[in-house]
Amino acid sequence: MPKIRSIFGYMWAGAAIIVVFATFLASDFFSRALVASSGVKISPWYSGGEVVQTLDHGSYRTHVHRPVFDALIGEKDEGFIQVNWEPLAGLPSVIEESFDYSGDGKADFSVRVDTKTGEASLAPINPMVVSIRKTAKLDDGWMIRVQLSRTIKKDR
Amino acid sequence: MKTDTHQVPQGEGKGRTIVLTLVMAVITVVMFSQGKMPQDPKEMIALVLTLLFANTLFFLLLYTGRTDRYRAIYFSTFAVSLIISFVSHMFEARGSMSLSETKILQCEVPFCHLVIPMTLVPMAITKTIIFPGSLLGKYASIASMFVIWIGATLALGRGFCSWVCFYGGLDDGFSRVLKRPVIRNINPKWIYLPFAVLLLVALTAAVYLSPVYCSWLCPFKAVTEFQAVTSTKILIQTIIFVGLFIGLVIVLPILTKKRTQCAFLCPFGAMQSLTNKINVFDVRIDKEKCVKCKRCIQVCPTLSMSEESLEQGCARITCMKCGKCIDNCPKGAISYHIKGTDIPGKRNAYRLLFLFAAFLFLAIFSSHIIQDGIVRVLKLITTGSMIS
Ligand code: SF4
Ligand code: SF4
Repeated sequence: MPKIRSIFGYMWAGAAIIVVFATFLASDFFSRALVASSGVKISPWYSGGEVVQTLDHGSYRTHVHRPVFDALIGEKDEGFIQVNWEPLAGLPSVIEESFDYSGDGKADFSVRVDTKTGEASLAPINPMVVSIRKTAKLDDGWMIRVQLSRTIKKDR
Repeated sequence: MKTDTHQVPQGEGKGRTIVLTLVMAVITVVMFSQGKMPQDPKEMIALVLTLLFANTLFFLLLYTGRTDRYRAIYFSTFAVSLIISFVSHMFEARGSMSLSETKILQCEVPFCHLVIPMTLVPMAITKTIIFPGSLLGKYASIASMFVIWIGATLALGRGFCSWVCFYGGLDDGFSRVLKRPVIRNINPKWIYLPFAVLLLVALTAAVYLSPVYCSWLCPFKAVTEFQAVTSTKILIQTIIFVGLFIGLVIVLPILTKKRTQCAFLCPFGAMQSLTNKINVFDVRIDKEKCVKCKRCIQVCPTLSMSEESLEQGCARITCMKCGKCIDNCPKGAISYHIKGTDIPGKRNAYRLLFLFAAFLFLAIFSSHIIQDGIVRVLKLITTGSMIS
């Protein structure tokens, strides 16, 4: 028995050296396999969530993301919705657009972004729409995150 | 192989050392160059210097039988090179060390292993990674760091913290500045603090879906990247990072000769300690040879040796496998060990197998960072600037 344990120990130690080689020689393969098999994504709190609608305006496009309320389990009361406009070169000096994220056929909010100065304003229509959480110039476009709240809806 | 009857660390014979170093030389040439010779003279010089550095240290590790001294030189060089390389990279790409909001919103923040403990619970439940980085491709992608972590954990357990972590070489290096510690009596209960930090950051990260340790506590932000100070909150965070870096990575390691940030704060280190349980290599004490002089307890930089360790014949779970206690034991009672085998048994064979896994990991993982560090220094000498 001690001999078997000892042989097993040596084999395990030898395998450790093989693991070192495999880690570096097949790093790309393992990285892809890890992502594919686990199905993980970047949290929508960072990525903005999946794009659910793309509107083509000719020289530029608008990408509307899904509303993000994700919690560890279930959903939070506070969330946001992200909209991106790209490419930078095709954007007008002022973007004005309305959005219906709830899908009821009526606009929930409209935004105005001055792509020269970065000034942005929001006109909430749906009571869940609270304020502008963030506006930013990206490498190839502009984005805005609009704060949404379910508690406000209940309170009102 | 020399016989195992000497009491102090003993190396391999000269012939055996040369043969084994040649094997390492072949592996490192292939792995460091990735099969192609650089055309740029600075890159060529960097490759040659890195190869010479690695193989000289490996030769000395084997020939002298001393582990910690030569490991620490390599490990600290890795950490310093990382700072030179990373900061130059940041200045080249972004013009400063601060992380712009744009890069965060575009999910282009380089990922580091210290975030891993906070990502695990949200990943298991929501299948998402709570970090604004890129999953694949790009610099320091999330998947590539996970692969490195899994590989290093399987091969070395918490040996990660003495052979792999690109930050660990900093407090390791500073803990060697003074010959004797100024602060001697450290309460061993401090070794439990990283476990508490681990629990706290893992839970808060899960609740807030945000890597709270990175946002509030990581000392290494001070020397890598931090968010541009645009609000009072970010200013407070920056003061915390810098304060923790100066205190835990520079001042306390110098005064205590311990790796204070790694032993008393790092939640990743605490998580790695748990992986020592499933790793094949450990550090054991031959109770027959041990004379209880407690030298190992004094020198261990992580308080992983205690009187109970001497009684039980093994280091604590927090052992980073640095080899310092092994090098310092006057009776040669401590050695690397392969689980399942005899003690002391074939201690040189155990050490050799451990060293091959650990040294190879350190050498391969650090090679491009050290080469880039050398290229940056050569650029600084020849052009007055580290960046292109
Ligand atoms: S304790 Fe943390 S910082 Fe220190 S070596 Fe380990 S992972 Fe790195
Ligand atoms: S017990 Fe020995 S090998 Fe482990 S961390 Fe302490 S000095 Fe290093």
